[in-house]
Amino acid sequence: MSGSNVWSRTRERLRIFPELLAQCADEAAVYGKCVAATTTGKQELKKDLCVKEFEALKTCFTNAVSTISKNRSLRCDM
Amino acid sequence: MNWKRLSILTLRSLSGISQNLGSFCTRRNGGAMNVFNRDMKKRQKQRVAALKDGHQYDYLRNEVGSRVADRVYDIARTFPLALDIGGGKSHIAEHLNKDVVQSLVLTDVSQQNLCRQTEIPTRCVVVDEEFLPFKENTFDLVHFNRSILRLTLGLHLSVLKPDGVFIGAMVGGETLYELRCSLQLAESEREGGFSAHISPFTAVTDLGNLLGGAGFSMLTVDVDEVQVHYPGMMEVMTDLQGMGESNCAWNRRSLLHRDTMLAAAAVYREMYGNQDGSVPATFEILYMIGWKPHESQAKPVKRGSATVSFGDLSKISRPTNAGRS
Repeated sequence: MSGSNVWSRTRERLRIFPELLAQCADEAAVYGKCVAATTTGKQELKKDLCVKEFEALKTCFTNAVSTISKNRSLRCDM
Repeated sequence: MNWKRLSILTLRSLSGISQNLGSFCTRRNGGAMNVFNRDMKKRQKQRVAALKDGHQYDYLRNEVGSRVADRVYDIARTFPLALDIGGGKSHIAEHLNKDVVQSLVLTDVSQQNLCRQTEIPTRCVVVDEEFLPFKENTFDLVHFNRSILRLTLGLHLSVLKPDGVFIGAMVGGETLYELRCSLQLAESEREGGFSAHISPFTAVTDLGNLLGGAGFSMLTVDVDEVQVHYPGMMEVMTDLQGMGESNCAWNRRSLLHRDTMLAAAAVYREMYGNQDGSVPATFEILYMIGWKPHESQAKPVKRGSATVSFGDLSKISRPTNAGRS
């Protein structure tokens, strides 16, 4: 199977995942702290408990994706 | 596009978590506890063996193999014939020499994984671990270096000669607890519940019972912890996939949502991350040594036959050296 297909695109996205996450380290830390707090405090972990923090992380992540793809396409044009 | 190719590509696209195409996998009803899909595991191993740079994932197996080989050396005997189950690239045999093991039979589930020659004369056989095709009382030493799947101890006992020894290593209860907890928390927060992504491991307390129940005597079980540091959660999962240890339990969920993966990576880094940004992954390795019963082995003496009292312990100035060496 040659050429770009859904599997190769998925694999490519997974491959750059760590790079993208590194760009959003702060948001990730905030989300992580929110979830980790449930393990020590009295608050039980429920669905969407940290939804605000997660949305912030996801937005940062999506922006990072578009930045990287923009940089990649710019590089290709050169 | 044929279905087989599609299934392999689907498996590849989700690092560390494998997908189940249920219609092609039939459950086997034999066996006491059918937890794992062995066909799936075999396919995972074959795929890994076909990787060009597969050797970079061998670090854990090499480390465990060298520690098992240490234990073989500790037994002051020469073994004419040894069996290495699931040996693959002979991570144990490469640390042994001809004085200790005179000849070796190396087995593995997948053909490609098999047979790296060492100084010991070796015969390589493709064998399903649950159906060893050897006669009873064949081997002097059976060693076993399998990461995750359950043991078929009764079988291992039967192929051993009386007074033969079984040395094994497997991963135990606390392995990858960081990954398990991160996935659990993230999945609970994102999806409201969680499913098992890490297969169940044997606890060290159960191991003694398992070995004793199978008929081994003079058991020794000890635990070792190997901690490996990775840049992040995705690298942990990629390496697990590269080692051929993707999930193959029947009750595994087919997919891991992108959001959950992102959330879990964030939680992993926050809860377990090191100062320099790397994250640790713990592998708890259980080592076990068991002997096939034989008259020459020391047995517990009859009750009431004691000649000294425990009260005299304080009077002993040097420890006495009892038991087999």
